[in-house]
Amino acid sequence: MLIPLRGSWSMILGASSGMGRATALALSQAGSNIIGVHFDHGPAAESVADLVKEIEGYGVQARFWNMNAASARTRAELVPLVAELTDGAGPRILMHSLAFGSLVPYLPRAGHGPTLVQRQLEMTVDVMAHSLVYWVQDLVAARLLRRGAKVFAMTSAGVVQALPSYGAVSAAKAALESHVRQLACELAPHGVAVNALRAGVTVTPSLRRIPEHAEFVARAGSGNPHGRLTEPEDVAEAVVLLSGTDSSWLTGNTIGVDGGELLAAGNAWELGNGSAPRDATPATTAAADR
Amino acid sequence: MTENSTGLVDKEDLRETLAEILDIDSEEITDDANFVDDLGVDSLMALEITVRLEKKYGVRMQENELVEVTSLNKTCRLLTEKLGGQP
Repeated sequence: MLIPLRGSWSMILGASSGMGRATALALSQAGSNIIGVHFDHGPAAESVADLVKEIEGYGVQARFWNMNAASARTRAELVPLVAELTDGAGPRILMHSLAFGSLVPYLPRAGHGPTLVQRQLEMTVDVMAHSLVYWVQDLVAARLLRRGAKVFAMTSAGVVQALPSYGAVSAAKAALESHVRQLACELAPHGVAVNALRAGVTVTPSLRRIPEHAEFVARAGSGNPHGRLTEPEDVAEAVVLLSGTDSSWLTGNTIGVDGGELLAAGNAWELGNGSAPRDATPATTAAADR
Repeated sequence: MTENSTGLVDKEDLRETLAEILDIDSEEITDDANFVDDLGVDSLMALEITVRLEKKYGVRMQENELVEVTSLNKTCRLLTEKLGGQP
């Protein structure tokens, strides 16, 4: 049954930028109150006050905490506050959108600095994958993930593709998708759906930290059959759409939110160098004539 | 600089705060122990230090200032500067 989001609470881990931020805005526009956890310093930390105001402008409540969402201390502190805010009902939506990891190759490579060390690999997988499990465990223990709740975890094409600096994050995404499948089965009796969303290449602050990002942004933009990159708002809309039901039948999936980018072979779908649509360029006809 | 204070920042209090953030004994945080090389601080713990110190001291640290956050003494000096004092 389709159910409105109005009056519900959504909890977003990694809420201050990129897909987490866009989803916080979209959910608040749909009437959901927002609990945001973010981890920022400097100007990024300052900008959160504006985001909170924007969310509140949609007539909902917003509570943001600048804390490390991957630490046990943060969970211990926030879970009781989540219970209090939601009147014991817990969040309707839990979104895991934590992007923090070591972006270095495993082995020495020309043009790159130091290689990955054990501490970095463990930290990356802990933040970007395992922390989902710990949040779900603590929320379930506090009876804060109720029937109809939705859990979303942000994965990426890195789960099947390799980039020189992305090894640790790729490993984290593989673990995250595995956690999603396991949690989907374990939460099925609770009526809670768990899915991974695999966004296409999206220009966010996290993406800009990947050393090779310029090269593959250019390639992904031209290779996407839609002829453009994924925007954070594309992901936000998918979350709102998938959260509009109390059914938990759609669960345990990795759902591509990439306009078909991962499926598109090579650059065969490139729309040409300009923005003109394919049928406006004579090149294809000429080739077919020969 | 005197042994234990810069006027605006109590170094012993800062030492205790760092020990609590890093979950290690405050005695390990000697004045010049390097956070990365001696105390095993990774980038996530470094962010934790930055966020916590920003809150505690009511300052904002820019990316280029974070390279100074490498030891107790250097952190103490940076915070003192940010608070408008003479290091």
